Amino acid sequence: MSSTGENHSNEKHSPLEQFEISPYAHFETGIGDLAFTNSSLSMVITVLVITLFLTLTVNTRSLIPSRLQLMSEMSYNFIAQLINDTVGDQGKKYFPFIFSIFMFVLIGNMVGMVPYSFTFTSHIIVTFALASVVFIGVTILGFWKHGFRYFALLAPAGLPFYMLPILIPIELISYLSRPISLSVRLFANMLAGHTLLKVFAGFVLPLGFAGVLPLAFIVALTGLEILIAFLQAYVFAILTCLYINDAIHLH
Amino acid sequence: MNNENKNISKLKEKIEDIESKISKKSKPTKENGAAFGFKISTELVAALVVGVGIGLIVDNFLGTKPFGLIIFFILGAFAGFLNIYRIMRHIENKQ
Repeated sequence: MSSTGENHSNEKHSPLEQFEISPYAHFETGIGDLAFTNSSLSMVITVLVITLFLTLTVNTRSLIPSRLQLMSEMSYNFIAQLINDTVGDQGKKYFPFIFSIFMFVLIGNMVGMVPYSFTFTSHIIVTFALASVVFIGVTILGFWKHGFRYFALLAPAGLPFYMLPILIPIELISYLSRPISLSVRLFANMLAGHTLLKVFAGFVLPLGFAGVLPLAFIVALTGLEILIAFLQAYVFAILTCLYINDAIHLH
Repeated sequence: MNNENKNISKLKEKIEDIESKISKKSKPTKENGAAFGFKISTELVAALVVGVGIGLIVDNFLGTKPFGLIIFFILGAFAGFLNIYRIMRHIENKQ
């Protein structure tokens, strides 16, 4: 019993181990320990990668862009097009915000795809904080643009008054569920994908020669994970656009 | 003169051809079935979570032990259906 327990403590093959937080430095403050963890390091790397990528590739400013310059121009165009399609001309002001969120989530997911790295988007607290920024920002924007008329969002036009006591709570819950669905979608996708990769990686060696099959599956799954990483960043950005559109244009 | 016009119209065709290709490429990737199903299910679950949360808070403050939870659970379920209805209507409008 004791030997198996010892074995178990030495073994490091849990598929969930990759999500463990390990602090590198401690900063004791009045509200608690603001530790610099592997998650923080991953975020710093992400921000550095985005900054370096966007500044260095566009630095040459050549009229005929190189491939790398084309990549950063395409990512700019992609979000500009997205805002134009969903919000319209009035949405141009919010481009920096949406572009920052899109790039942060996208590059964060991509950094997480590098072996031995840490995926910070697989933690619900990170995605929920991002979604909360969007949710609180959109709510403030709505009240700033429309004042108390923003409450009309909760009561659809042309509704008989006796339906209001039922529909207002439903609309309120629907409105409050936005940050939760936004954060859970990103978090669950990344968590499930990375766990699945590790689980199948655990099959490769014990199966011996037949381990080629899970190995091939992992290769395919990695491609799918990169697609999901992009898709989730895109979904996060497009939903932010839709919420901003709702706040600007009351129905 | 005629030949020049022909050349220009040919060039125009070429440009239009390339432009249509570019606009096709830059369109966002279409979601696959699993992603769409996941989107729908999170909307439903998120509304239920908020409903149950509000119900528990109401019960805690007003001391109406089971009734707040029951009522807000049902309202949360309706809110989930409303979310899904909105997504479907959004897709229909796009088509």
